[in-house]
Amino acid sequence: MARRLRLFKEQMTKAGVSPSMWSTRDDHFDLEHLEVKLEELEAELLEINANNEKLQHTYNELLEYKLVLEKVGELFSSAKNKAVAHQKELEFQTTVEGSIDSPLLLEQEETTTKQIKLGFIGGLVHREKSIPFERIIFRAARGNLFLKQGVIEHPVLDPLSGEMVHKNVFVVFYSGERVKSKILKICDAFGANRYAFSNDSSKQFQTIREVSGRISELKATIDAALIHRSTLLQTIGYHHGQWRLLIHKVLQRATMDCSSQVVAIFQVLETTESPPTYFCTNKFTSSFQEIVDAYGIAKYQEANPGVYTVVTFPFLFAVMFGDWGHGICLLLAALYLMIRERKFASQKLGDIMEMAFGGRYIIMMMALFSIYTGDASTTGFIKVRSTYPFGVDPKCHGTRSELPFLNSLKMKMSILLGVSQMNLGIIMSYFNAKYFKNNINIWYQFVPQIIFLNSLFGYLSLLIIIKWSTGSQADLYHLMIYTFLSPTDDLGENQLFVGQKLLQLVLLLLAVVAVPWMLLPKPFLLKKQHQERHQGQSYDLLCGTDDTLESESQSIAHDHDEFDFSEVFVHQLIHTIEFVLGAVSNTASSLRFLAHSELSSVFYDKVLLLAWGYNNTIVLIIGIFVFICATVGVLLLMESPSAFLHALRLHWVEYQNKFYEGDGYKFFPFSFTLLTDEDEL
Amino acid sequence: MGFSVTTLIFAVIGIVASLCTRICFNRGPSANLFHLTLVLTATTCCWMMWAIVYLAQMKPLIVPILSEGE
Repeated sequence: MARRLRLFKEQMTKAGVSPSMWSTRDDHFDLEHLEVKLEELEAELLEINANNEKLQHTYNELLEYKLVLEKVGELFSSAKNKAVAHQKELEFQTTVEGSIDSPLLLEQEETTTKQIKLGFIGGLVHREKSIPFERIIFRAARGNLFLKQGVIEHPVLDPLSGEMVHKNVFVVFYSGERVKSKILKICDAFGANRYAFSNDSSKQFQTIREVSGRISELKATIDAALIHRSTLLQTIGYHHGQWRLLIHKVLQRATMDCSSQVVAIFQVLETTESPPTYFCTNKFTSSFQEIVDAYGIAKYQEANPGVYTVVTFPFLFAVMFGDWGHGICLLLAALYLMIRERKFASQKLGDIMEMAFGGRYIIMMMALFSIYTGDASTTGFIKVRSTYPFGVDPKCHGTRSELPFLNSLKMKMSILLGVSQMNLGIIMSYFNAKYFKNNINIWYQFVPQIIFLNSLFGYLSLLIIIKWSTGSQADLYHLMIYTFLSPTDDLGENQLFVGQKLLQLVLLLLAVVAVPWMLLPKPFLLKKQHQERHQGQSYDLLCGTDDTLESESQSIAHDHDEFDFSEVFVHQLIHTIEFVLGAVSNTASSLRFLAHSELSSVFYDKVLLLAWGYNNTIVLIIGIFVFICATVGVLLLMESPSAFLHALRLHWVEYQNKFYEGDGYKFFPFSFTLLTDEDEL
Repeated sequence: MGFSVTTLIFAVIGIVASLCTRICFNRGPSANLFHLTLVLTATTCCWMMWAIVYLAQMKPLIVPILSEGE
């Protein structure tokens, strides 16, 4: 049946009919009925093909016949005209030269006698063979014949080869049977086709009419046959894909039912690879997903960090960029790209423009968050005696205490945000492990990581909040250092709350315990799991000693699943060290939040206000120009990518590094056009 | 007192935004869950930003020095 399907596919390719790519939901197909149907269709197709070939052959022959008749008719007409002219000339000479009247009459009588005995043969010969054909015929008959050829202007379909060939029509006049037999042999040798016709003009016309009628009739028959064949092939194409899938399924089931170790027809490749990964995105979320995929494509059914990235990425950018004025500039640029969306989508853009257009929604989100964080940390419009309700107190601006205060604020803010982000990442790893039912990763990876991070840096965040709330003057820097160096000493003026010393001791102990907790149990538990599986395989192996193939199969599986304890241990050691050191360096890397506003203040104070102070129009214009160039060139075009890259690194290192493996591969959809390689069954 | 009130305001804004998103962009359970996640994450980030700045100014150790002559 697969052979028949291949035959059908080949016929459809020749006829230009493409099989339909969608298969119908027709579950009522029975295999026996399918086989009978395929058999019938194959027989019908072969019969149609044979009939078509026969009809085409006859059609081509009739076409040649018609051409021969037309050309021969022309030759006979011209010959008759010449004869008439010759006759008149002879009569004219007789009148002028009366003395030789008797010899002319004798000659004329002799000519008439010869003409009665002449025979003729007509047909078609290849044009490139016409000269040798003519020469050989003359030699064979020793010149006792008359040969006339006519050129056919357009190519003719050859009945034998079915190709278009240039041919000549020929007529041979001869006397005697021996010459006739020679001419027939020469015609056969040169592949010339011969056709019978009469020398009577009226009969010639009648024959032409008959042949034309037959040609028209045959043409109609051929066209009808072609239409029928095309219809049949389309019907086959409609079901072709479905039949193929059904046959594959049945072959596979038959292989399993036979319980044979050797697959009779095709080899099914059993693989332990993970399936590919596919995430549904729209034009808004696709760019954020690209940011995640640049780090790595998710393993099959792994938690997708792209979901939170839609918000947290532009937010972290905004915390660094943090300027509502420049945020508005970014927003206008993004809105321009969004408004011209349809035009730009169908246009060829440069590299930088292409990247900006692709990320237009990221730019919009970054701009909105920048405007918010700019407001939250820079300006305000309400003046009250108590704590400033929103943003930084504007009285702070321009005073000597501005820089120490803002630096302290931003440093603490960085730590708080960084620790929050890392905790989110670790919590995601819990959901991953829970989904995959991996208890080892829950109890010996997630739990110690949470304990370690929050014993040290979570505690630091708590101290920051307590210090802000109580107005304490404790030095957190020294406090954290002496927690490690001399944990049992008196806290002195750095004490923030009652029982702090005891709490710090407990947290320090927890952090110390968490590290070996992360390191040691997992490799041993994996080894134990592997040993249990190994014993199971040994048991199967003993039972299956009688069956050699089964034993070999088990042996292969065993080799594939070999466990290397030292390798697993080293891997876990590296992972633990990476987490511990990463927790420290990732917290420090959050200090990138300090970057932007210093630069903005410098340009504002040193360029614009300085120019304003001169009270000179020309200097003021130059100052404004320099300020605008610095704003666009440095703050928007250089500082924005810088903040973007920092936010990107924070996302990859602080967030995704905590839970994301990213060792999958992307999904590509199945298509019948890719089945060409699979036709070799 | 100001901190608690404003935190409550942020919570209310978050809830209202979630309900509005649910009503205006109702497109199946998966998309709805995605929208809810986005709105809650955005609200939390904005609140955190505000809260950090507010807490830092509640009892400042470094007060603005009004006289530049110092």
